[in-house]
Amino acid sequence: MTKARQDRTIDIAAAVEQVADGMTVGLSGFSYQNPPMAIVRQIIRRGLRDLTLVSGPTAGIETDLLIGAGCVRRVVAAGVALERIAGIAPAFRYHAERGDVEVWECDECIWYVALKAGAWGVPYLLWRGGVGTSLPELNTELEEVEENGGRYLRVPAIRPDIVFLHAAEADPFGNVRACRQAYLGRSFAERALAEACNGAVICTVESIVANERVVAEPEWTLLHGALVAQAPWGAHPGGVSGRYVPDLEHIRAYARAATELRTGNDGPYRRYLEAFIHEATDHDGYLRAVGDHELRSLRIEAA
Amino acid sequence: MAIATDKPSGVAHIEGLDEATTALMVCVVARELRDGQVVAFGLHADAMLSAAMLAQQLHAPNLRIRHGLRAERGMVFGAAAWTDRRDDDSWRRVEYLEAHDAILRAANPASPMRFCDVFFVGGMQIDREGSTNLIGLKGADGRLAVRGPGSIGTTSIGTFAADVILFSPEHSPRRFVETVDFVSVPGWKRRAAVGLEGGPRLCVTSKAVMDFEDGRMRLRSVHAGSTIDEVVAATGFPLLLANDIPTTPVPSDAERQALAALAGSDSTAGDPAVTDPTRGDSTATDPTSGDFGA
Repeated sequence: MTKARQDRTIDIAAAVEQVADGMTVGLSGFSYQNPPMAIVRQIIRRGLRDLTLVSGPTAGIETDLLIGAGCVRRVVAAGVALERIAGIAPAFRYHAERGDVEVWECDECIWYVALKAGAWGVPYLLWRGGVGTSLPELNTELEEVEENGGRYLRVPAIRPDIVFLHAAEADPFGNVRACRQAYLGRSFAERALAEACNGAVICTVESIVANERVVAEPEWTLLHGALVAQAPWGAHPGGVSGRYVPDLEHIRAYARAATELRTGNDGPYRRYLEAFIHEATDHDGYLRAVGDHELRSLRIEAA
Repeated sequence: MAIATDKPSGVAHIEGLDEATTALMVCVVARELRDGQVVAFGLHADAMLSAAMLAQQLHAPNLRIRHGLRAERGMVFGAAAWTDRRDDDSWRRVEYLEAHDAILRAANPASPMRFCDVFFVGGMQIDREGSTNLIGLKGADGRLAVRGPGSIGTTSIGTFAADVILFSPEHSPRRFVETVDFVSVPGWKRRAAVGLEGGPRLCVTSKAVMDFEDGRMRLRSVHAGSTIDEVVAATGFPLLLANDIPTTPVPSDAERQALAALAGSDSTAGDPAVTDPTRGDSTATDPTSGDFGA
């Protein structure tokens, strides 16, 4: 008797059960696009602590929210910002200035090189960028070295314990896809994170599609071998390339609450967490709290 | 490279600037771009995209924009290739789609797929030798007191690109300082100290155009509406003065026509920034407010 192909689907709660305090957690996404927010909210509900986030390389609300909720000890990102809404992500700014959160100071290339070293199984790689800057002074894991008469940064390997991604589609066997309507920048360092990861790569998706569809259009497959959790609107308030745009109203309201932290008023931020994370006890509850009408207005009509 | 924009604007929208100033800055940058160069940008993506497409149209048909937009397929400009929008067809003018991290993978300057030749860099602070800072600001005790967003893509690409153009809509003493508190991208002296040749070539602001002489910033031209004295006063270090400092040439007829065509029909305003307690206060000295991009 032949053995059936393994179904690689999992639910959000079970996915987040695999995270423990102190782990190094990779999060995909670029700025407003494709952050795994359903996972982020579940991590906060679980009250996980002392995480090292490897996000971005230019990170956004997924990182800011985890920091604001007290889950993070260290951030490996080249930047944490909310684009034109907040040039410096507000909870990140507040907690970094207080020293609650350490920043693994880098730029996007160095972030990428550290994951490459992790993926290749070498302890470090040499990189030309960052020489003559403040990065090695602020990030003691980066060292300026001389080799063959040239100066380089020695960039140590980074290997996440677990990686969470969000994408438009996947089949039940772990083939993760962008959708046909995806626009430029349809992928966001997912491969770099996945290849460097020591443990599970878990991808939430808008919809699970048939394997036949994946086979018919393999050029849309971004990576394979992931565990797959269905989470429609799972990047909200971020957007998903080809499916829906970021909810700027929601992000603005979030940023207003987070900006209050610096004035000593944590009330609005606590209320945000209560309304959208704790009282909404799961992803469906979150979607109800946001509202069907609000969500539908974000949807991209097929071209 | 924070290429994604909240809302793609028409030809270009820069927060806090009027259209004429933005158009002038776009023309200044376009004139500096050479045929055959590869151009990448993160900072003020839509303004720099306008400049690159303007250059393609006017004098640099072989200029390549990372992400493959070609002006000669029609001049309707939209950042739609970067976004969900399909209300103009600029997204159909793209020759190649890249992942957002594609640019991080090719650091060999000899490759036709090299990072880029021209890169635009901004900062919370820019100093007299052209070093930039997106990391943060020091307090009185010398330690980081104001957290910046981080260096984003500026450090490595700003080091490798043959041609770095500094770009800052804001021209003020808090932006233009004697020495940056932290270095995201090294300027002339810092580069020389670690064996790197050259340095940033130009700095374009809403008031003026500066170049560099012996690694120090020098006033090259002043935009109409500003004066030399005003620019000098708005700069937090002694600015070298060129022998002859003309008014920055206004957009020519050809540039105006091409810009109008680029702008197409759409002009969506950018997002109003979130209310910052330090913002809008005329006495504010918080260098974290305003649009410094990355």
